Amino acid sequence: MSIIKKILDMDQRIIYLGMFIALAYPILSPVILPVAIQDYSTQAFNFAVSIPDGSYVLIEGGNAAATHPQCGPGLTANIYHLLTKQCKLVFFSITAEPAYWTQVEIDNALAKLPATVAAKNGVNWVNLGYISGGESGVAALAADIRSVVSKDHFGKPINDLPMMKDINSAKNFAAAFWWGGSEGSIPYGIRQLVGPYNLPMSGSCTTNEVPNYSPYVSSGQLKGLFGGIRGSAEYELLLKVPGPALAQAMATNIGGLYFLGLVLLGNILYLTQRLRGEK
Amino acid sequence: MSNRLAKISLPIWLTTIFGILMIIEFFFSMPKIVTDTNTLLRSWVTIVSAAALILGTLILTIAHVKRAYERKTGWYYSLIYIGSFVVAGALGLISVRETNFMWIFNNMTSPIGAALYSLTAFTITSAAFRVFRARNWKATVMLVTGFIVLMMLLPVGAAIFPPIVPIGEWIRSFPSSAGFRGMIIGISLGTIGLGVRIFLGRQKEHLGIREEKKEAS
Repeated sequence: MSIIKKILDMDQRIIYLGMFIALAYPILSPVILPVAIQDYSTQAFNFAVSIPDGSYVLIEGGNAAATHPQCGPGLTANIYHLLTKQCKLVFFSITAEPAYWTQVEIDNALAKLPATVAAKNGVNWVNLGYISGGESGVAALAADIRSVVSKDHFGKPINDLPMMKDINSAKNFAAAFWWGGSEGSIPYGIRQLVGPYNLPMSGSCTTNEVPNYSPYVSSGQLKGLFGGIRGSAEYELLLKVPGPALAQAMATNIGGLYFLGLVLLGNILYLTQRLRGEK
Repeated sequence: MSNRLAKISLPIWLTTIFGILMIIEFFFSMPKIVTDTNTLLRSWVTIVSAAALILGTLILTIAHVKRAYERKTGWYYSLIYIGSFVVAGALGLISVRETNFMWIFNNMTSPIGAALYSLTAFTITSAAFRVFRARNWKATVMLVTGFIVLMMLLPVGAAIFPPIVPIGEWIRSFPSSAGFRGMIIGISLGTIGLGVRIFLGRQKEHLGIREEKKEAS
């Protein structure tokens, strides 16, 4: 067996080991490399900046355990950003597990906030928790919040929360952020919030799903999009609040280069094999 | 009430009437009675969905209990499910903010979910090394495009080769976006077609009726 054939038939465990080293090394020994900001992230950040201070903002938190490491730091940065603008935030999740993760991301943002920023539950933010019904649930929430939910994530009646006194539908919000792109639900927001209520919306999803939503960005239905861990890292960078995403983005650098290197190597060896007439 | 009326005709009529009510509200300004009815119907959907979640959990549990009781292949996995369900369910019923329930979420659900998702990095890398080859011109186009977009998505990509960012963004914003837009339009047209078929009673699968295809004569 030729050396080329041996490399092309390499045991997959060697590939796995290489990937493990490529991902683990930058985490154990952090090296910060320059990060170029993508246009989708810049658009999403500028959209967040353009929201008038003190506005009501609706946020769908859709990160689950699997996607929380990628998109969670971005949502944390988003919450931090909006609370420093004195915005009033209303959170909800359309699947059960993300309701928990949304609260984790709220808690992470609150822990980072300077003591001077007001961030009281029920006054500056409200987490409505899990809303069942998928897209119909979103439509119902947008039309009449109280027809869908009577208590918040902590079991407090929403009528007792000062922040909820004046809001009951999507008409009362200045903007929306949809952080559940990874669950494929961004079109729910576009169909139920952007279309009927003309509510400007930005979103986030895992890196691999960015192309799925690019038509919505180019049509203006999405004001921007944070894609995966890089999107989260870019938000932290634009906000000048370093967080876990920046360190993780460096790990994806080496992992991604390893992936590209292997694909390149595989093709060079494959073409060499073909030129030599080997099978 | 005849069997057909109760099982087929009535559900089709209800679907059609309420479906049309929802659609016209989207396009036209409707009287308050219509918007109030629609709001009520939408809140019913959330209640029915929540009930369906409970029903689904019960059916899954019954299936696992049956499998474990009958000692079918992999019955011990069913025991793990039943054990996990009882422990997490009981702690969750006490309070979802309870420390033990949170411990399960933080130390079991979260790492398991993240690990499962992370495994794709390893399997995709191995698969790409073996399969992602320039075997013909179509595969070469895909390979080059994939290479550029991935390089553009890597934070270090721009530092290695700066023009990769505008090239990658052009691919994402134009050819890729155009392809996905076509898919979205196709799916939307298909959904409209399906909706019309349901309203006309030509599609009955949502009622649990599977019609046999007529054999071509």
